[in-house]
Amino acid sequence: MGEKDQYSDVLVIGAGIAGIEASLLLSKADRKVHLIEKTSYTGGTAIKFEEVFSNMECSTCMVAPRQQELLQDKNINLLTLAEVEDVKGSFGKFTVKIRKKARYVDMENCIGCDACFEPCPVSLKNEFEEGLNERKAIYVPCAGALPNVPMIDTEHCLRFKGKDCKACQEACMFEAIDFKQKDEQLELKVGGIIAATGFKIFDPEQVPQYGYGKFDDVYTAVEFERLYASNGPTEGNIVLKNGKAPKSAAIVHCVGRDKKGYCSSVCCMYSLKFNHYLKSKIPEIKISELYTDLCIPGKSHQKFYEKMKETGTDLIRAQEVKVDKQGEEKTITYNNGNKKDSLQADMVILASAIESKDDASDLAKILGISLDEYGFFKEEHSDVSSVITSKPGVFIVGCAQGPKNIQDSVSQASAAVGKILSLSK
Amino acid sequence: MERKIGVYICECGPNIAEKVDIDRVIDAVSPLEGVVVAKRYKLLCSADGKKFLEEEIKKHGLTHLVVSACSPKEHEKTFMEVCKNAGINPYLFQLANIREQCAWITDDKDEATKKAIRLTKAAIRRVRYHASLEKKEIESNPDVLVIGGGIAGIEASLQLTSPDRKIYLVEKASSLGGLITNFEKTYPSMKPGSDSIKQKIQDVNKNENIKVFTDSEVEEVLGFFGNFEVKVKNVTEEDKTVEFNVGAVVLATGSTLFDPEKTPQYGYKKFDNVLTSLEFEKMNISGKISLKNGKPPKSVAIIHCVGRDEKGYCSEICCMYSLKFVRYFMDKIPDVNVSNFYSDLCIPGKSHQKFYEQTKGKNVDFVRSSDVDVTKKGDKLGVQYKDENGSKSNLSVDMVILAPAIEPTSDAPQLAEITNISQGDGGFFAEEHEKLGPVSTSTEGVYITGCAQGPKDISDTIIQAEAASGKILSSLVPGRKIEPEVKTSHISESLCIGCKLCLSVCSYGAITFDEAKKISVVNEVICRGCGNCVAACPSGAATIKHFTFNQLYQEISEAVQ
Repeated sequence: MGEKDQYSDVLVIGAGIAGIEASLLLSKADRKVHLIEKTSYTGGTAIKFEEVFSNMECSTCMVAPRQQELLQDKNINLLTLAEVEDVKGSFGKFTVKIRKKARYVDMENCIGCDACFEPCPVSLKNEFEEGLNERKAIYVPCAGALPNVPMIDTEHCLRFKGKDCKACQEACMFEAIDFKQKDEQLELKVGGIIAATGFKIFDPEQVPQYGYGKFDDVYTAVEFERLYASNGPTEGNIVLKNGKAPKSAAIVHCVGRDKKGYCSSVCCMYSLKFNHYLKSKIPEIKISELYTDLCIPGKSHQKFYEKMKETGTDLIRAQEVKVDKQGEEKTITYNNGNKKDSLQADMVILASAIESKDDASDLAKILGISLDEYGFFKEEHSDVSSVITSKPGVFIVGCAQGPKNIQDSVSQASAAVGKILSLSK
Repeated sequence: MERKIGVYICECGPNIAEKVDIDRVIDAVSPLEGVVVAKRYKLLCSADGKKFLEEEIKKHGLTHLVVSACSPKEHEKTFMEVCKNAGINPYLFQLANIREQCAWITDDKDEATKKAIRLTKAAIRRVRYHASLEKKEIESNPDVLVIGGGIAGIEASLQLTSPDRKIYLVEKASSLGGLITNFEKTYPSMKPGSDSIKQKIQDVNKNENIKVFTDSEVEEVLGFFGNFEVKVKNVTEEDKTVEFNVGAVVLATGSTLFDPEKTPQYGYKKFDNVLTSLEFEKMNISGKISLKNGKPPKSVAIIHCVGRDEKGYCSEICCMYSLKFVRYFMDKIPDVNVSNFYSDLCIPGKSHQKFYEQTKGKNVDFVRSSDVDVTKKGDKLGVQYKDENGSKSNLSVDMVILAPAIEPTSDAPQLAEITNISQGDGGFFAEEHEKLGPVSTSTEGVYITGCAQGPKDISDTIIQAEAASGKILSSLVPGRKIEPEVKTSHISESLCIGCKLCLSVCSYGAITFDEAKKISVVNEVICRGCGNCVAACPSGAATIKHFTFNQLYQEISEAVQ
């Protein structure tokens, strides 16, 4: 920074697409970046998608080069399994305490050969795959995760429960498994902070009429993304619980919108994308999209919708949607205008609202910023830049600030960098 | 020069060693011409491995390095760095991928070994034809040209300005501010719109590092990132032009409204009291909402999505500003009846639905409709429409406000040509990448912001202006040189037949035509090495450095032997 005794390093919280963009841009400006990521991997939610609207580009192919660049960037200090514990000071002079959990796998020695997974005797549901498949106690969340270094889940690893298991260590040819690693506490001095912590989706069990959690083959949007993903639990085969391909599917929009009180802005578009997913894998499938208002703003989106219309999908304006089960099939009843109607579907996909993360309020407290009435990080006011918070030097970007698509998240990330570079030149 | 090639094969722990007979690979490649050493190593990418390679290069006086290991994606950079540290040009190196392409794809050790031999031999053959490439550095000008003095241009200028960076802000109209000066309030905060911009205009005018040109147009932008030459013309005094140099260009030229005369069913310009949204904003800010006869309207219809079918996209902000109009009415003519004729309510984002809920009221109607028609009915206007169930209905109102689509300004094609960028969906300026490069373009150093890139609200416009600033502040630093791409295209003077095919396929404007010599010439500073011209060139005159025909031919012919 221009002024003496101010810190030029920047803290970026969250290594999703927004955090990656911010970090790479800051590095380009020769700023040192500390990029803090709670999970063991980078890429956030964007790497869960097989393709992105509206050009249907492969998401991994889009994000992976950026992740790779990030890992090789000498200005960027990526700290995975790390969380912010405390922030003191003001713009230009923040002191940040970070708690970094031990990975128990040496990042230098490990080459990512996966030899340690198989011998691990513990199996449990894989959170990254929305519980649709299993992982071991030593694992990477999915094939192609970056950094390609596994972590040990100490809650489930037998060794950390007092047993003398060292199956993974014995399998490793590179002496990369290190049970002696310890959690660390780090103190960083940074001039600015960018919070890019992302979102989670609304739990449809809170709206029981959709049958989520009650019936098989009722999926959330993220679960369905993983079902279609070539590196996902079914290697991209869209199948029902019984192993068969669905003959019909219903995509229900606006799930949880009434509860949340806002439109999540991306669901219509990704639901249309799902239509493409289904048709490309199962051309003869019958699809119904149940929506309230079609919200496809912007110059490129309607085109995508027009193309989808040609595929023969039923677009049904529907209220009071309810999912019931009759035998193998699910019956979906709804109001269309003034009349009641129903349809049958093998698979139901729920486009659930985007909401703030559970720990958003804790992090807001630590950062000294506030939450809005919906639980997202609150911008100072909506007429100036939406990345500015009430706390000078702390900026908010991406879905942590509010629901938005990748393009808008990336724009906000660059904008926050612009703010930091401009205010401290 | 005598070539001394060193070949090193990585065991990658058991990954390669167990699946490939490395000793057989070494035996196969050792006798090859120029190979002075061939060895195996446990893990070449490790700290010890890199040190080992560096020592080997020095010890044997190697001129070229071949490593057979993993994917170039993983470690090409690692080994190029090793070359640099050991004193050989990093481009005199080739990596053969014998892990992902041999060891990991078969259980047949013999097959894997055979293929590893082929790939390693091919890499050796190729590296013989490699040439040293050097990074160049060129001086850059940190100043920035901002075209358009609306909210986006003003925000960008204010954020970019500093004592060591001059901003040239060029505005077509006679004053700064753009469309927002017409808005009494902005949604969803309903805070003053025109007042907030006035303060910013003052800030711009006071700033001695921002040079403002009003009544002016950009006539010419030549050059490349870091070094653009700009010509600006004053439109009121035709012969008055100014020239200056900048390092980057921000296009913030805004948008205009679809002309509702093209959709005659809405009665625009045919009947009195049919206004566009902008005309209504202007009427509102002037202080009095009234009909042609001077009286306040008792009933109003706001028709959404005017021109949407013609344009083929949703303009994103019309639903929200229509709601804002309802608020204007609620404040000023509380007993007026307002009916919104809409198709789908598009109010994305966290704070908009609440605004909608708060806008509902007893005199406010939302009618989901299609096939809307406006006719004259005595003193009144008749709005005919099909309702949600397909039945025809109609409503008499005093005033009709149309929400026409947002479209690019009429000079967008000209500006795109001048700045060498393209127009994409809807004729708006095309971004470099829909997701990851929303404010960059195919021309490095030219950025697009606000509604010139696509329809958007004020908040998103400000974000894009700041994002473009972020891009410029990070890459165009006063006093710092810029490093152009090394692996650029080159067009041979003697082979070029002057067909100009390459000019049409170059996305970056890196190729010009030398009219005197009748040949194409690549500007290596602009070229990004995409290879389009190489593929298009019918005479084999265009080649990409480090991917020359000969290098590829040699590599492939060895691999398929």
